[in-house]
Amino acid sequence: MDPQIVLDLHSFYPEIALTLTLLAVIIVDLALPRIKKSATFLVTALGLLAAFICTLPLVHDPQGTLFYGMIAIDPLAVFFKLFLILTSFLVLLIAPGSRELSKDHIGEFYTLLLGVTLGMLLLASATDMLMLFLSLEMVSLSSYIMVGYLSHQRESNEASLKYILFGAVSTGSMLYGITLLFGMTGSTKMTQIRDMLAQGTAGGDNTLMLLVATVLILAGFGFKTAAVPFHFWCPDVYAGAPTPVTAFLSVAPKAAGFAALMRFFFTGFSKTAGAGPWTALPAINWTVFLLMISVVTMTLGNLAALRQDNMKRMLAYSSIAHAGYILMGTVALSEQGVQSVLIYLITYLFMNLGAFLIVIEIHNRIGSFNVKGYSGMWHRSPFLTIAMTIFMLSLMGIPPFAGFFGKLYVFGAAVNHNLAWFAVVGALNSVIAVYYYARVIKTMIIDADAEGAEVARIRLPWTTHVLLWILLIPTAGLMLVWDRVQQLTLDSMKIFFG
Amino acid sequence: MDMNLLTQIVFYFFAILTVGSAVVVVFSKNLIHSAFALLFTFFGVSALYVFLGADFLAATQMVIYVGGILVLLIFGVMLTHKISEMNLKSETYQFWPGLVLVTVVFLSLVVVMLKTTWHTPAAPAGLNPTTATIGELFMKEYILPFEIASVFLLIALIGAAMIVRRRSA
Amino acid sequence: MIGLSQFLIISAALFSLGIMAVLTRKNAVNVLMGVELILNSANINLVAFSRFSAGNLHGQMYAIFVIVIAAAEAAVALAIVLSMYRLLKTVNLDKADTLKG
Repeated sequence: MDPQIVLDLHSFYPEIALTLTLLAVIIVDLALPRIKKSATFLVTALGLLAAFICTLPLVHDPQGTLFYGMIAIDPLAVFFKLFLILTSFLVLLIAPGSRELSKDHIGEFYTLLLGVTLGMLLLASATDMLMLFLSLEMVSLSSYIMVGYLSHQRESNEASLKYILFGAVSTGSMLYGITLLFGMTGSTKMTQIRDMLAQGTAGGDNTLMLLVATVLILAGFGFKTAAVPFHFWCPDVYAGAPTPVTAFLSVAPKAAGFAALMRFFFTGFSKTAGAGPWTALPAINWTVFLLMISVVTMTLGNLAALRQDNMKRMLAYSSIAHAGYILMGTVALSEQGVQSVLIYLITYLFMNLGAFLIVIEIHNRIGSFNVKGYSGMWHRSPFLTIAMTIFMLSLMGIPPFAGFFGKLYVFGAAVNHNLAWFAVVGALNSVIAVYYYARVIKTMIIDADAEGAEVARIRLPWTTHVLLWILLIPTAGLMLVWDRVQQLTLDSMKIFFG
Repeated sequence: MDMNLLTQIVFYFFAILTVGSAVVVVFSKNLIHSAFALLFTFFGVSALYVFLGADFLAATQMVIYVGGILVLLIFGVMLTHKISEMNLKSETYQFWPGLVLVTVVFLSLVVVMLKTTWHTPAAPAGLNPTTATIGELFMKEYILPFEIASVFLLIALIGAAMIVRRRSA
Repeated sequence: MIGLSQFLIISAALFSLGIMAVLTRKNAVNVLMGVELILNSANINLVAFSRFSAGNLHGQMYAIFVIVIAAAEAAVALAIVLSMYRLLKTVNLDKADTLKG
């Protein structure tokens, strides 16, 4: 065995832990049929915790690539590994409480959750286009299956069908674009692609082909992050999938997609002037593309959310709009832009998962996702109403909640990059968004109950209470530990450039 | 006959076979015809790999694509129609706008491709067997994708079986 | 002489035909065939560039992994399509309309 590979394995413990847990869950699911629900849950939870703990020492590793340049180890990769494992852990805690997921076969759900987490860890650190594509497909395939988990239910099946057909075409187009890049540069490693493109092999001839390749590659990234015009799958898939899966999809694969996008564009298509900010390669000004996509995504997401009554569809369009804000951070081609993306993702994780958790709980009680069913919730469960209000306010971007800081940093990065008008567009969009978030709050607090509707108090299981507090505290109290958060993201800004 | 000319004739034969079968796949009204035309497309692609010196890949293409994926697709066609329907029709929508769009895409792709200066460092080497080198690469440069692909296939296996399983009442 | 351009034109044709199948066909299995055409076109590109642009076998390695991925994706897609048939007794994509878009 090649000694270099053995050395690299020492930095690969999180992924190894996830793989071993995956195998363990399969075996436990088969071997202990009577206690398999709790046993598989326990094994998955322990495995995710082990992976999280194994990731922490990686901060001290020197920046570099592993396995012959396939994946990178740098602070950004470590940040995303921790972020993604945390998200999967929270979704793992949320999942058993949902009435939608069939308890009998939940062992397979945990297996898929572990598989998608493994894929996401690799996606966030991939530096080779092959590894990028393979991990992207791994995340996507596991997501398709998770969405179609309730295969006997028409909505879930339809959602997974639309998801897989749309996804296969998008990733296939991305692959075609990658092959064109391969032809122009002779290599699939992002660092070598950058070197070849920067050498100025691009005369007037190659600009067009670079344009075509970039548009095709953006098809794949746009699909993963649900950016316009590759967002068509998003509302239907979010509405049809089991809600814990929707909650997961709205945060984790999106974040991993953003990590891969940043790594591809910042290390593959940019060059750095010494220790300063990056500049886009003269051959292709890709920041313009991302700018246009960001503006359209924000606006369309917000406008479409205005008309939705189904909570899951509304949150789907809201997540599309948030993807637009996050893209704003990537347009600001600087370390500040990267930092703003990281901060936004941290805030987005807690407030989005919180909103979905409450949607799950209410669905467990009233069996519907229609916002009209939320009327009078204030009388039925004040705690749920207050929690939902906080999450909605945070999603709106109202201080002092976490969402405000995310938007502040993203808009700030745009302004500092001489794109003040861009920040204004973002601010206007936030104002539009206030309407549909506020409508939920208003329905819960002010609207009177419909005739004959239940007015019984809702008693939440203690697990939901604990989970809600876990998600509420960061959403409401993030500014108390703001220094730590800022320091964390500052340290994580470094991307391996090679 | 001049070897060069013979090579060119055989190449264009396979090229036309590939693209022609693909046309049948896309435009045929009968679903079974599409499925079998896909067989010829895969076969043509495999022949093109041979022209590019990729012997291992050509064999892999035949085994996996024809022997695996195509059989699966034909199962899919057969299992999703009633057995009494002899005429498996397949409908289209927005045929003409789609055709115009796709023709534009194709022509622009070809034009841009021909104008680009591709990265061509040297004349291509002679045709050598590739299997040994591929085996070495799997164990060195590509060991991580190799291992990850195995987990990937495991998940696909579990997932596909899970989706099609009949729910016990 | 068979050069790079011939292979690129063939792959562009397959890519366009694949997109055509995805855009215009109503039968889910037909759309899957289109996806396979797209992936095959990318593979032809990879192997051709591997020979002419890279001078090594890296493109062919990439193509092997694409074949693996395509197989797994086809399996899962067909599982979902079969599930749809069981629920709706048809695989016509027009009938997949409960989730209003």
